[in-house]
Amino acid sequence: MRGVKKTNWWGVASFIVIMLFFPLIINGSYYVTQGTFAGIYTIAAIGLGLLMGYAGLISLGQAAFYGVGAYTTAILTTSFGFSPWLGLIFSILVSALLALIMGYTMAKLSGYYLAMATLALGMIVNVIFVEWKSVTQGAQGLYGIPNPELFGFQITQGVPYYYLVWGIATLVIIVSMNIVHSRVGRALRSIHDSETAASSMGVETGKYKMQIFIFSAILAGIAGWLFAHMNYSISPSSFTFDTSILFLAMVVLGGATSIWGAVFGTILITAISVTVHELGQSFSFITTDFEHVLYGFILMMVVIFLPRGLFPSFVSFLKNFISSNKKSNSKRIVS
Amino acid sequence: MGDLLQFLVTGITIGSIYAIVALGLVTIYSVTKVINLAQGEFVMLGGMLMFTFLNFNIPYWFAILFTLVLIIIVGWMMELTLIRPAKGANPISLIILTLGASLFIRGIASMIWGKDSVRVEPFTANDPINIAGAAITPQSIWVILLMVLIVFGLYILIDKTIIGKGFQASSANPNAARLMGISPKKMSSFSFVLSAGLGALAGMAIAPIMFPAYDTGLMLGVKGLSVAILGGLGSAPGAVLGGLILGLIESLGAGYVSSGFKDAIAFGFVLLILFIRPSGLLGEKSVGKGGL
Repeated sequence: MRGVKKTNWWGVASFIVIMLFFPLIINGSYYVTQGTFAGIYTIAAIGLGLLMGYAGLISLGQAAFYGVGAYTTAILTTSFGFSPWLGLIFSILVSALLALIMGYTMAKLSGYYLAMATLALGMIVNVIFVEWKSVTQGAQGLYGIPNPELFGFQITQGVPYYYLVWGIATLVIIVSMNIVHSRVGRALRSIHDSETAASSMGVETGKYKMQIFIFSAILAGIAGWLFAHMNYSISPSSFTFDTSILFLAMVVLGGATSIWGAVFGTILITAISVTVHELGQSFSFITTDFEHVLYGFILMMVVIFLPRGLFPSFVSFLKNFISSNKKSNSKRIVS
Repeated sequence: MGDLLQFLVTGITIGSIYAIVALGLVTIYSVTKVINLAQGEFVMLGGMLMFTFLNFNIPYWFAILFTLVLIIIVGWMMELTLIRPAKGANPISLIILTLGASLFIRGIASMIWGKDSVRVEPFTANDPINIAGAAITPQSIWVILLMVLIVFGLYILIDKTIIGKGFQASSANPNAARLMGISPKKMSSFSFVLSAGLGALAGMAIAPIMFPAYDTGLMLGVKGLSVAILGGLGSAPGAVLGGLILGLIESLGAGYVSSGFKDAIAFGFVLLILFIRPSGLLGEKSVGKGGL
């Protein structure tokens, strides 16, 4: 009965505790940076997860919205002197607008055709980043993106930025869970199971699909904004097809049918990337290419052996484990 | 005039390669309903393996043969280890599955061959022929010829042989085909073998023109997919038509607008066609009903 399940506040609370204490337990700026990246990717992955797991749509071009979010704020803050917070509003607006236009174009598409259309979008946006040199500075990218300020305090890369990112990520998780458990979430799940049945029951499938597509684009845009202001500079190479695939791998690994799946998958992929990086220092054959081989392998294995993703399988394993323990305990009492 | 002719020849050459890649995709799709996003990797492997064999001083035609056989084995293994266990999965899972395979093959290729482009000798002496101010390399003629031969060969294979009849039958209705003693499993295997072979041929033919590297397959695979979608999934004439159109748009766009924007122009065109005709140029009739 997924439909009636309410938001699990225990999950949120324990997640917040882990997130708060991570930079205090772990020292070393490298790990904090990776933790910050994980938070940024989580926001984008949750959007993609909602799209895939709840609406049954696929996007192979999520990096387009992520990149548009990053470039919008980067251009506005460096060339026009906007404040980063004003940049955030524009990042959200431009990503949403792009999604709206694309949504209308793709309204009639599904399955492979939709995959192709989003893939094309991702490629086009990346070409524009590289070639529209007067605005984007081409392949070398934009420099001098300022850090955001909050109450007169500059949020610099490191622990402050880590908390900013995960603070926003927590908000996104809570908002997304409320969406999932609302009327919109139920409508989306009915679309996922059978679009024909849903529309015959009076669910306006097109409207809900469009809304979730725009919402996922906004999340990617926010992630892009965070990415741009964390780094001093951005370049088109951060927003390629590989980035879209990275988001996809995170969602698929964690499991698209739950918000926590995307969070779980993102943290796992980041952990793998950090491990590969560590091993690479002692073994020369382990390079970033090895990382791609690993991601490819993970995608294939998850689809074949764990089609629902790791997180739901993990949860049901845990539930079985607990209930079988209870049973054996009660048996012992009887005997 | 010379410029235009030059762009047209370049467009038809690259369009022929897109068409061959798309034919491979359509071959697999019509039997298994799987879109193989790793199709481009067969093409990349074609060029890279050819380079390696030639480096070992293996005679040219033997190198072609070895490359073809090796890639066919890769395709066959892929069907056996990936597609068969995932039988009946939804399109999203299948996209992710073949995307994973593509990432896997590309990663391994970059570990073996590194990141640099390689040079492969052309099929025959490659002095450009001048026709009305346009320089045409013999290799382009080989590529176009290969495409025509492949289309003709596929037509004979699918429409005139008993294997082709089995192919069409398991595409149209796998259960009925099984009752008639045709094994859809064997046909699924065969479609991957055939399609890997097509990819390998395309890779070897384009290698002298394109200078392949480990990541060539990504763009070619994506372009092949857009061509297959452009023509209407499952339609072989659509694949050829779509390939030539996309190749021409790309080379004319590169020539008259901007070479940097050529991919954006090509993909923008695909989006436009999908907007106007959501089932592709020659779609509808063949989608779902199968058959090449």
